[in-house]
Amino acid sequence: MSPLALIFLIIGIPALIGLAYIFVRGSAGLRRYILTRIGLLIPMVFILASLVFFVMRVLPGDPVRSSLGPKGSAETVARMREQLGLDDPLIVQYGRFLGDIVTLDFGNSLTGGRRPIIDEMSERFPATLELVIPAAGLALLIGIVGGTLAAARRKRPFDYALRLYSVVIYSIPVFWLGLIFQLVFGVRLGWTPIAGRIDPVIATTLERTTNILWLDAIITGNWAALWSSLSHLVLPVVTLGLILSGVFLRLTRVNVIETLQMEYIGAARARGIRERIVVGSHALKNAIIPVITLLGLQVAILLAGAVLTETVFSWPGMGQYLVQRISSRDYTAVQSVITMFAMLVALISLAVDIVYSLVDPRVRY
Amino acid sequence: MNLPVQDQETAVPQWEEELARVGFVRRLLRARKWYGADWWFVAISSVMVLAFIVVALFPQWFAPYGPHEQVGPRFLAPGETPDLPLLIVRADSGLSTLEDLATGPDDEVSRPPIAVLRGAPTAGALREQAALLDDELQESDSGLRLRPNIRRYDTVEEVLQAVQEGEAFAAVLSSVQYEEAAGQFPDLDAPSDISGGVASAGDFLLGTNQIGQDVYSRLIWGTRVALIIGFSASLVALFLGVPLGLVAGYAGGKIDRVMTVFMDSLYAFPGLILAIAITAVLGPSILNVIIAIAVLYIPTYYRIVRGQTLSVKQEVYVEAARSIGAKPSTILRRYIYPNVIPSVSIIFSVNIADAIITGAGLSFLGLGLPPSTADWGIDIARGQEFIQTAWWLVTFPGLAIMLVVLAFTMLGEGLTEILNPKLRDR
Amino acid sequence: MATSSDILYSVRNLTVEYETRHGVVKGVDDVSLDIRRGEILGLVGESGSGKSTLGKAMMRLRNGSARITSGELWFDGQNLMELSERQMRDLRGSRLGMVFQDPMTSLNPVQRIVEHLTETMLTHEPEWTEEEARARAEELVERLGIRRERVKDYPHQMSGGMRQRVMIALALALNCDLVIADEPTTSLDVIVEAKFLDLLKELRDEFNLTILLITHNIGVVAEVADRVAVMYAAKLVEIGDVNQVFEKPLHPYTEGLLKSVPNIELDSGALYKMEGSPPDLSSPPPGCRFHPRCPYMMEEVCPIYDPPFAPPEGASEDTRVACWLHHPHPQKVAIGA
Ligand SMILES: Nc1ncnc2c1ncn2[C@@H]1O[C@H](COP(=O)(O)OP(=O)(O)O)[C@@H](O)[C@H]1O
Ligand SMILES: [Mg+2]
Repeated sequence: MSPLALIFLIIGIPALIGLAYIFVRGSAGLRRYILTRIGLLIPMVFILASLVFFVMRVLPGDPVRSSLGPKGSAETVARMREQLGLDDPLIVQYGRFLGDIVTLDFGNSLTGGRRPIIDEMSERFPATLELVIPAAGLALLIGIVGGTLAAARRKRPFDYALRLYSVVIYSIPVFWLGLIFQLVFGVRLGWTPIAGRIDPVIATTLERTTNILWLDAIITGNWAALWSSLSHLVLPVVTLGLILSGVFLRLTRVNVIETLQMEYIGAARARGIRERIVVGSHALKNAIIPVITLLGLQVAILLAGAVLTETVFSWPGMGQYLVQRISSRDYTAVQSVITMFAMLVALISLAVDIVYSLVDPRVRY
Repeated sequence: MNLPVQDQETAVPQWEEELARVGFVRRLLRARKWYGADWWFVAISSVMVLAFIVVALFPQWFAPYGPHEQVGPRFLAPGETPDLPLLIVRADSGLSTLEDLATGPDDEVSRPPIAVLRGAPTAGALREQAALLDDELQESDSGLRLRPNIRRYDTVEEVLQAVQEGEAFAAVLSSVQYEEAAGQFPDLDAPSDISGGVASAGDFLLGTNQIGQDVYSRLIWGTRVALIIGFSASLVALFLGVPLGLVAGYAGGKIDRVMTVFMDSLYAFPGLILAIAITAVLGPSILNVIIAIAVLYIPTYYRIVRGQTLSVKQEVYVEAARSIGAKPSTILRRYIYPNVIPSVSIIFSVNIADAIITGAGLSFLGLGLPPSTADWGIDIARGQEFIQTAWWLVTFPGLAIMLVVLAFTMLGEGLTEILNPKLRDR
Repeated sequence: MATSSDILYSVRNLTVEYETRHGVVKGVDDVSLDIRRGEILGLVGESGSGKSTLGKAMMRLRNGSARITSGELWFDGQNLMELSERQMRDLRGSRLGMVFQDPMTSLNPVQRIVEHLTETMLTHEPEWTEEEARARAEELVERLGIRRERVKDYPHQMSGGMRQRVMIALALALNCDLVIADEPTTSLDVIVEAKFLDLLKELRDEFNLTILLITHNIGVVAEVADRVAVMYAAKLVEIGDVNQVFEKPLHPYTEGLLKSVPNIELDSGALYKMEGSPPDLSSPPPGCRFHPRCPYMMEEVCPIYDPPFAPPEGASEDTRVACWLHHPHPQKVAIGA
């Protein structure tokens, strides 16, 4: 079984079950909302995929010429064009492209072993997940805790320090932060490895099933591999997580401050509720709702950041794959990866909206 | 039965009403008086932004070297004086460069003796440089040759002694060694280094890179590329996004819905990845980078302008019921622009910051800009290879990006504080 | 005259200041007020006269930049100003309850009704079990005329009247002695308002409540209050029995207020409209604060001397007024001396 299918089992099945549960148990309004939202998913994927197609095909530049380079004879070019169906009318190509997306069959890569692109992606996708999920978690943790504390200590030095932090961290290019971390923690202090997912020697001893290395290491009880994979994971995750944390910090802070002005906060205090609970529960629960909505938009930053982070740390994920395929001018693969990213964005935004509808009882469409 | 309610608790403070009526500039000027907005944020960041603009316009005023000049030894650390192999001659000899030691067929000495320190790398450098010059001389058919007779001595003093006494025509020592001993040999002079450069020239504030370019100079020149990308991309996005938002908000109905779904999708998509795709197809050039990034920011303007237009449209309808129907151009000028300009100026500033970071990301990935461009992203990418030995190659361009982006972000932040009191935290 | 044991809450010379950009604003200026056990005391005044500031200060709740700068708050024999924040918190919600103006915004939108109630109960009575609290919550809500099942609703699923009853339920959850209701009916429509006021009266008898009913609606006061206090520009100007005040108002401001109420019987066309508008509290007029608007203003006294808030000459202790029409003029006192 391919890692992609396994990942789907691990994440997708529980998500589907959860969705079904919400669907059955939830109110009619909630059901309708979820259905509408799923309905909106399709145009979104469609538009994004079309955008990718448009960019790759209609903009000037011939993918075959550029993939073969100056060496390609007119004959090979023609043969390749035919193979790829590039001589068909654009509309036919477009239809085929959309069909490929539905069947998740992206064809074979033009370079290397000419393996099916979906297989190549399914190897890389877990690596990206392994990086992106803890990074998002870290960012949320820093953002929510920091933002709430800053809001509760408003206009005091702690608050100013965190505001400064969030502006500065926002201005730092993620790839540069990664390099500086490599420099400091990898090169100078020697605490962590500076590149890759796992020590190559240890890697040979690890049997892979999900291709999420620490998970595989736990499954097989390979503790050396677990340690190695975690130590490789630290720097990229911290890099990406810190970059993202600034946005969450700002959002949380502003929202908590705004919520603390609300009358129900005063009312809770008037009932003798402890301040810790007023801020940490009443205010935070309300403030977190807009933060969740914006989480969907931050996914874009997260994925873009992942591409750069993977490049810096030679992390063999989807981002690095994209960059490699661009430099080897494998446009089929490039197009497929970007489409995949588009679907991912659409799916995550769906998930975020559903979570939102659960957290905020007021959502009733 | 209610009491006369003069001063509703919900009443809008007077300054807020006044604020809505004045233009952009007066709003900026009065903000402090009205609601004590912090000026210093905008002040500091504007100064920074202006400074960067001046640097970008006139990099030659600040950079000691051109962006592509190879001016020094490779991998010189910041502040380190270049330890060049100097050519040392008697001050009265009339020799000034290594080339002056070339000999023709008529010269009595066909191989000029040159003194070096035994075991020092300068000997090798001398041999290489001499061979290089010799080749050039031969090619130029001048009949001259340069084949030094390299003599080795055990101490620096002995080397210099040899030149002083005429035993050798010249000596080659590293500048550090020469400076230590120079005091004892007042008759000697070091007119140049062996490659012909002026010996004292190298003062490389931030060091040099792997091909001997001055890191500081490239940093200065890089400002230009960064600001061009930032400003142009944001401007292009502004000129596309604002009209589109106006049209959608004004027209409403189907047009609005289609455009909004499209823009929302674009907005949700990871910008950098889209830019990667566009530049990968269009090929490397600064114009293509600008196009790719501009596309990403169209939705930000679109959304804010559309929203404002929608709400203004509602207000105008209410008013139109009482007064004469206003022409669209009047509505645009009187109602929409005053409301939209503050938000757009904030977005503009923040977008410049974003565009600079995205542009740097693209060039870091080796996409977008031609590889020799003096650009911070490119410099970081090229320095990455040497991160173990030459930390300064990646560190300084990154700091430069951070400072420029910080300036524009802070400007946006400050403008938000001043122009949009309702947005800032109460 | 009320004896001291009849008095549940006594405000003495309370001053509350707001720190603003335009300087210090006294939201409540040297106010003294007694609330008797079991009564409904109506507090009326225009918006901005300091009613909410007074109500919040009585619970020692922080409101923006407000600070109690002087005065004493005696509640059931103890001076609240001497309590620690912790002790104060224990009183809030268990003995001192508050109902706010807008029930829409004063309930936490992401908390179910029952959670509001049980949270309050368990905060003050930690030894109660979750089930006990829940049972009591349901019982209480039912008593207030809301179906038991609806406790599982979120605030936004209820009507304005229901939400306001929930707010009352929160004050009753632990049998508060004093409920400060700050414009509880302002956001309700007239029919709901009338029902709510009836309920309030019933509850007062049933639960031995004492209620400070803050409102800018004189009709509301007339309907339910036993006594009424009138506030103008951060100061109390008159207090007395409802019937007495309505029949024979002593202060020209009270008189103006009553005249401006549409009176069905008279129906004499044009409604009385008081001249001028309330002063800006950052620079209140000298002397009597009402003098610029007062039809009986006496040039040589009112703009110069601040009238005392005291019983008028010859009247009982129960009535107090701050107006030179009813007190010996300071000049006369000076001449007589
Ligand atoms: N948060 C605040 N900050 C500054 N001043 C305030 C604030 N709230 C109220 N005030 C001032 O206190 C005065 C009394 O306000 P308030 O107690 O709300 O009056 P009321 O409840 O009678 O309408 C107002 O005129 C206003 O100037
Ligand atoms: Mg009020």
